[in-house]
Amino acid sequence: MSDVITETLDDYIKTQVLEAWKGPKTVPEQEYFTSGHRTCQGCESALVMKLMAKAAGPRTIILGSTGCMYVANTTYLSTPWSVPWMHTQLGSSGSAATGTAAGLRALMRKGKMEKERINVIAFCGDGGGADMGLSAISAALQHTEYNLLILMYDNESYANTDIQVSGSSPYGANSTFSPPGKERRIMHRRWKKNTAPMLAAGHPECKYVATVCMSYAVEAMNAVRKALSIGGPTFIHSLDPCPKGWDYDPMFSHELGELAVETGIWPLYEIEEGKIKMYGKSKRIVNGQMKRKPVQDYLLRQGRFAHFIDEDIEYFQAKTDEMWEKWLIPGVLPFSAEA
Amino acid sequence: MSTGSVEVVYRGIFQKTLAKNICRGVVFAAKKEGKIGTAFGRYSDSPERNGIPAKQFAVVSDTHDELQEHLARYEPDNNDVTIACDDALCKGVESWAWYGLQPINKLLKKGGTLLVTSFQSPNKLINFIHRKGEPYNLALVRAAASFSGLWVYKDDHTDARLLGALAKVAPHIVGIDAICEVIKEQWKDDLKVASARKTYEATETIPVSADQGNEEVPFEFEKPGWKTMEEGLVIRGISAEQQKVEGWEGGYVPTRNPTFKKFSTRTMRPVINFDTCIKCTLCWLQCPDSCFDITPDGLYDANMEACCGCGVCEAVCPVEDCVTMVNEEAFDDNASQWEMWVKDKKGYETWMTEKISDKPPRSHGFHHVGQYAEETADEST
Ligand SMILES: Cc1ncc(C[n+]2csc(CCOP(=O)(O)OP(=O)(O)O)c2C)c(N)n1
Ligand code: SF4
Ligand code: SF4
Ligand code: SF4
Ligand SMILES: [Mg+2]
Repeated sequence: MSDVITETLDDYIKTQVLEAWKGPKTVPEQEYFTSGHRTCQGCESALVMKLMAKAAGPRTIILGSTGCMYVANTTYLSTPWSVPWMHTQLGSSGSAATGTAAGLRALMRKGKMEKERINVIAFCGDGGGADMGLSAISAALQHTEYNLLILMYDNESYANTDIQVSGSSPYGANSTFSPPGKERRIMHRRWKKNTAPMLAAGHPECKYVATVCMSYAVEAMNAVRKALSIGGPTFIHSLDPCPKGWDYDPMFSHELGELAVETGIWPLYEIEEGKIKMYGKSKRIVNGQMKRKPVQDYLLRQGRFAHFIDEDIEYFQAKTDEMWEKWLIPGVLPFSAEA
Repeated sequence: MSTGSVEVVYRGIFQKTLAKNICRGVVFAAKKEGKIGTAFGRYSDSPERNGIPAKQFAVVSDTHDELQEHLARYEPDNNDVTIACDDALCKGVESWAWYGLQPINKLLKKGGTLLVTSFQSPNKLINFIHRKGEPYNLALVRAAASFSGLWVYKDDHTDARLLGALAKVAPHIVGIDAICEVIKEQWKDDLKVASARKTYEATETIPVSADQGNEEVPFEFEKPGWKTMEEGLVIRGISAEQQKVEGWEGGYVPTRNPTFKKFSTRTMRPVINFDTCIKCTLCWLQCPDSCFDITPDGLYDANMEACCGCGVCEAVCPVEDCVTMVNEEAFDDNASQWEMWVKDKKGYETWMTEKISDKPPRSHGFHHVGQYAEETADEST
């Protein structure tokens, strides 16, 4: 009996090798998420959609949970998608991905579809993923018999409904749910959820978890390509500057992504088959080849932190220092072994 | 017995607070004159997106019945005054919802007044504004389009100035004394009251005749009726094949969404120096709106039907002055820059030099803590 299952698995889990692109000049021209979406000027989450789809290629089904990337891209019978796309409920990216991968496999097994590797990607926002959809994502990452990628685009708020605080909003940020007042300046006191390591540590059989930022586009696309090649369920967490919710001139979208990495606030790494590998500037920070920029270079450029006074900046800096100086795995794993 | 309505067209998020201040100001002022009113945003513009045109309205009546009658429609379409908070909106408004391009004066009633913040000449604006087919008036408020973001408001008195001008062009809706009283109450700032009164005094209207203006037929598309919609809320995807465009063989022009173009979101556009471009691909790769067409000679041409003017391409281009964001008013059409360059390189250089030298300041919101205070201090000196 188990042999039969193994055989079936062999047939359908067979994965592919999407080679890493060597630089921006080797990236193909085709767009599978094109112009004509109703996102803000300079929306980095829209750039995630464009580059994710480009990296995956035409034989891809994309599922998207409710949020800006659903509402701005598919309302009023108008869309920029050219690959099949389907909406799923706010907390359901995990179940939608598993169901779609299972459905495809069943159809192929029954001969109702030609056997072929079709990429299944479900995206979700930080609200839909790291808060509401955590259990479904967890379940998806345990189902090692399906090839799928869950990509969480993190604009650090429930953006679509006009910027409410989420578990991924940074400490102190202004939002519809945390407006600074005269009596109380800091209304959001929780530290940002450490989602990617939580999912990697909690699902030891998941072969690939990575963090990305679209300011490093080729690396981000290569992470998507690796996630779709390695086999089984995978997870990518992208940090996306959001000019509306973060309150900055849209022309700085790219630069703020870079600053998030350079200040150490957003570490870049891949956890591949149980091995952690920092990459890009984060690797240089860990290796001591690059000094982290002060967090205020990042914070004071955004209206969501305009109410910060020195003590708030110092707190933010100290917490960030802790990530790099005290954590068991700097920037990644918060606890350390007892001395 | 009468009803008056004001339509405020503005840049989503950047001018959301500005528009709210205007609409609320009108309603509060009307109340001082014994009328009743209501201020509201158009549902389909929500959630607003940075730069994408949005609308708010203020409707004022003598009685409840009149007010309710007026509100029983999706969007007031017979407005006494249309305020365009940014003069680039005169080129037309493609809102978040599903319209195609709407002329800025479309919902203005015959004989009504279009009020625009602008440093341009009236004639220049009239050339942008689509022909109405009915006479109306144009009034200009000499103020910058005041842009800020969701959390920090740049209080440069543009709201007070527009309220002052409104009292001048539509005294039957609100008078200047009531406006000044409300500004004083809301902001407790005499300078702001003075700004309103000064603008009231300075505002002049000029008549625009039925056949004046831009002759272009605004972009439209066929909307499916409920019987022609497909089952299961299916939307046809965009072709993944490139478009075939004459003269572009060997290049790459992606197919784009035909029912939302986004160019009316733009207040600045990139101008490209093809002679200094090093073909690094970064503008093309990093543009969130996939605007860059790859030319047959391997250059990158920002497609002006798709570009929303975010400025990311200027920010990422490694070559100094190779991409320059220029005020949208400097342009009359959405023609390809590369085609112009290929036809006549010397001519293009002259054109480009002229365009990039014409750079009146325009800010798209927050740059750093303290910036708005610095800017408003500069403006008042
Ligand atoms: C179950 C449920 N609750 C609430 C909503 C309302 N809603 C729509 S989009 C959204 C925000 C989602 O935030 P996130 O997942 O971070 O995506 P973003 O909008 O930031 O892109 C909310 C709360 C919903 N659609 N479904
Ligand atoms: S609110 Fe943020 S994520 Fe949403 S469309 Fe605007 S920039 Fe993009
Ligand atoms: S300004 Fe540049 S980056 Fe922004 S939409 Fe236009 S072409 Fe794209
Ligand atoms: S970023 Fe600048 S140099 Fe690079 S391809 Fe674009 S225009 Fe040319
Ligand atoms: Mg979000």
